[in-house]
Amino acid sequence: MTDYKFDTLSLHAGQSPDDRHGSRAVPIHQTTSYLFDSTEQASALFNMEVGGHIYSRLTNPTVAVLEQRLAALDGGVAAVAVSSGMAALFLTVLSLTSQGDHIVASSQMYGANINLFQHTLGRYGITASFVAPNDPAAIRNAIQPNTKMVFGEVIGNPGMDVMDVPAVAEITRKAGIPLVIDGTFNTPWLFKPIEHGANIVIHSLTKWMGGHGVALGGGIIDGGNFDWGQNDKFPTLTEPHFAFQNVNLWEEFGPLAFSTRVRTEGMYNIGPCLAPMNAFHLLQGIETLPLRMQRHMENTSRLLEFLTSHEQVSWVRHPLLADHPDHDVAARLMPKGAGSIIAIGVKGGREGGRAFIENVELASHLANVGDAKTLVIHPGSTTHSHLDEKAMRAAGLTDDLVRISVGLEDIDDIIADMNTGLKAAARATGSR
Amino acid sequence: MHIRMDDQDIFVSTGGRDFDPAGDVLLFIHGSGQSHLSWLLQARFFANRGWSVLAPDLPGHNLSGGEPLESIEEMADWCAALLDALGVKKAVVIGHSQGGLIALETARRHPDRTRKLAVIGSAHAIPVADPLLDMARDAEGKAFRFMVSWSHGTEGHRHDHTVPGQSHLLFGNKVMGRNKPGVLLTDLLACNSYKAGKDAAAAISCPALLILADRDRMVPKKFGLELSEMLTDSRVVVIPDAGHFLQSEKSVETNAALRPFFLE
Repeated sequence: MTDYKFDTLSLHAGQSPDDRHGSRAVPIHQTTSYLFDSTEQASALFNMEVGGHIYSRLTNPTVAVLEQRLAALDGGVAAVAVSSGMAALFLTVLSLTSQGDHIVASSQMYGANINLFQHTLGRYGITASFVAPNDPAAIRNAIQPNTKMVFGEVIGNPGMDVMDVPAVAEITRKAGIPLVIDGTFNTPWLFKPIEHGANIVIHSLTKWMGGHGVALGGGIIDGGNFDWGQNDKFPTLTEPHFAFQNVNLWEEFGPLAFSTRVRTEGMYNIGPCLAPMNAFHLLQGIETLPLRMQRHMENTSRLLEFLTSHEQVSWVRHPLLADHPDHDVAARLMPKGAGSIIAIGVKGGREGGRAFIENVELASHLANVGDAKTLVIHPGSTTHSHLDEKAMRAAGLTDDLVRISVGLEDIDDIIADMNTGLKAAARATGSR
Repeated sequence: MHIRMDDQDIFVSTGGRDFDPAGDVLLFIHGSGQSHLSWLLQARFFANRGWSVLAPDLPGHNLSGGEPLESIEEMADWCAALLDALGVKKAVVIGHSQGGLIALETARRHPDRTRKLAVIGSAHAIPVADPLLDMARDAEGKAFRFMVSWSHGTEGHRHDHTVPGQSHLLFGNKVMGRNKPGVLLTDLLACNSYKAGKDAAAAISCPALLILADRDRMVPKKFGLELSEMLTDSRVVVIPDAGHFLQSEKSVETNAALRPFFLE
C-alpha cells in the first residue's frame, strides 16, 4: 500500500466506513455526549490514556473525520476543527502566548484579524507589530525578544500580497519562534505551507475548503515540526500543564504538543466547537476541493484576460499578472494558480465601484469569499470599514477597490455579468 | 523524567505518573529510528493503571543525549544499566521491532532482571535490505517516509486514528525526524548485524508474549511465529488488519493483549 495522493485523501482521509451499518458517507453524530463502557474507560478518556469521545465540545466523531482530513491534506500531525476561522486564530494565539508577549503579523490581512491583534489582545497585555507580508527583512526586524509567533496569509486579503513562506520560515526558524500561516486563500491544493517550513496552518473552512457557503468552520493544523523545547519561550508547552497531572506536553507528546494544548485548553476552557452538521457539510465540500480549485483557477485566468483589457477598469491586481509585485514569488510557490480573488479599480472611484456592484446580476454582493458562486464586495465600505485611514492604506485599500471572488459558473456568463456592471459604472460616473 | 547515565542526560517517559521503582515495572523499548513517542498509547494507559512505566529515549534518540549505541547487545546492557540507575530489581521488558531484539537480548543477558518478555512486531532476527540501508545513509527523510508508509495498514493510510484529529503517517514521520541525522542508519545496522536471536530464544525461560501484526510488511509475522517456536514459554496474539506499528495503529487491541499478560 502506497500513500494516497491528494485527490484520494480529499475523499477518504479520516474515515473508515462504518462497520456496524455500512454507511458509506460520513455519519452525522448529532450528539452532545457519549456512553462510557465503565468507570475505568471514562477515567481513561478524561486522562488521555486512550482515544475516544467524551463530550462534543472537545471531540465528536464527525468532526474528527474532518480534522483528520485536514491534517492529511495539509501535511500536519494533527488538526483541531473549530467553529470559525477567527476561532482558529484565537485558539492558536491562546495556546502560544501569555501576558507580555508579542506577535509579528501581516499588515495586509482580514480586518477582524487586525482588530483581534490590535485591540482585543491588547487588553490582555499581548501586543502586535504589523509588517508587510511580502517584506521578509521587515518581518525579521520586527521580531523582539518577547515575540512568540509570526502570523500572515500566503495570499493577503484583499491586496493579494504574497508571502515568501520559505524565506519567512527561515527567519522564524533562526529566531526560534513558529511561523503561523492562514491558508484560507490558497487551500492545500494550491500550496501546503508546512511543506515549505511553516509550523502551524489555520483555515477559515467557510471559504474554498467548504466551497458551498452553507457552513462556517475553522481548522488548526499542527505541523509537528517545531522544537518547542529549544528555548524558554513557550511555557504553555514545556512547563507543567495544569491538566493531566501537570504533564509536560512537549516531553510527553513531542510533535503533538501544540495540538494537544489547543484541545486540552482551547476547546476545554474556551469551547468554540464545530457543530457536527457543519463538519459534515464541510466534508462534502472538501470531497470536491481538487476539482473546484482547478475550475476556480481556470475561470480566474480567463476573467483576468477580460478585466485587464476593459477600458472601464483602471487597474487589476492579481499575483498571476506580471505587474504584480509578488508575481515571481507566486509563480514559484503556487504554480497551479495564485487564488481566485481579483481586486480591480473601477473607474469613477467610490461611485463607480458602487454602481458596478449594484448592477451585476449573476455575482452575489455579500461578505464572503471562496464560494462556488461568484461574489463581489466593496471592502472599503464593508469588511474593512472599521479600520482607520492609516490602517486602510496599510491594508492596501483604496476607494475604488472592488474584490471579486471568482466562482465556478460558466466563464462566459461571469464575463458577461462583469461587463454589465462595468458599463453601468461608466453610465453612473460618466467616465467613458 | 530526566536522569543522568554515563554523563549523559537521558529522557524516560513514565506515562505522566511518578515512577516507583518498587512497583511493577514495565520497560518499553522503542524500535529503529523511533523514541518513547512510539509508546504514547501504552505509557499513559499502563501508568494510570498502577504499573510503574519506563519508556526511555535510547541514547542519541529524541530528548536523550549521547550517541546511539551500535549493537543490540550494547543496547540490552544499557537497559539493565537503566534499571540499575533507577533502583529497579526486575521488570517486564517489552520491545517493538528493533526493541524486540533488545528485549530478547536483555532477557538472555540479564535473566535476573527480566520478569517477563513481550515482543511486538519483531522476530529472532531483523535483516535489513540493502536498499533501505542505502536510503537511510543517503536520503534519510525518504527512508522515514518509506518506513512509516510500509509500517501502517489500512487505517493508518486512511489517516483514521482512535485519537480524534491525529494522523498516524504524518506523526510517524515527525517522530523519526526528531532524532539526530544518522541515528536511523546506526539502528538499522545494529538490527542487521544481530545474529544471536536463536541462541537468546533458546536460553530464555521467562514467560513470553508475542504480539504480531497480520499485515506486517517490515517484519512479516511468519518470523515472529518462528521466534515463538524457539521460546520455551510463549504465546502469540495476531492482530488482524494491522501493520508493523500496531501499538499505535491498533492500540486498543495491543493493550488488551498486554494487560492480562502483565497481570498474570
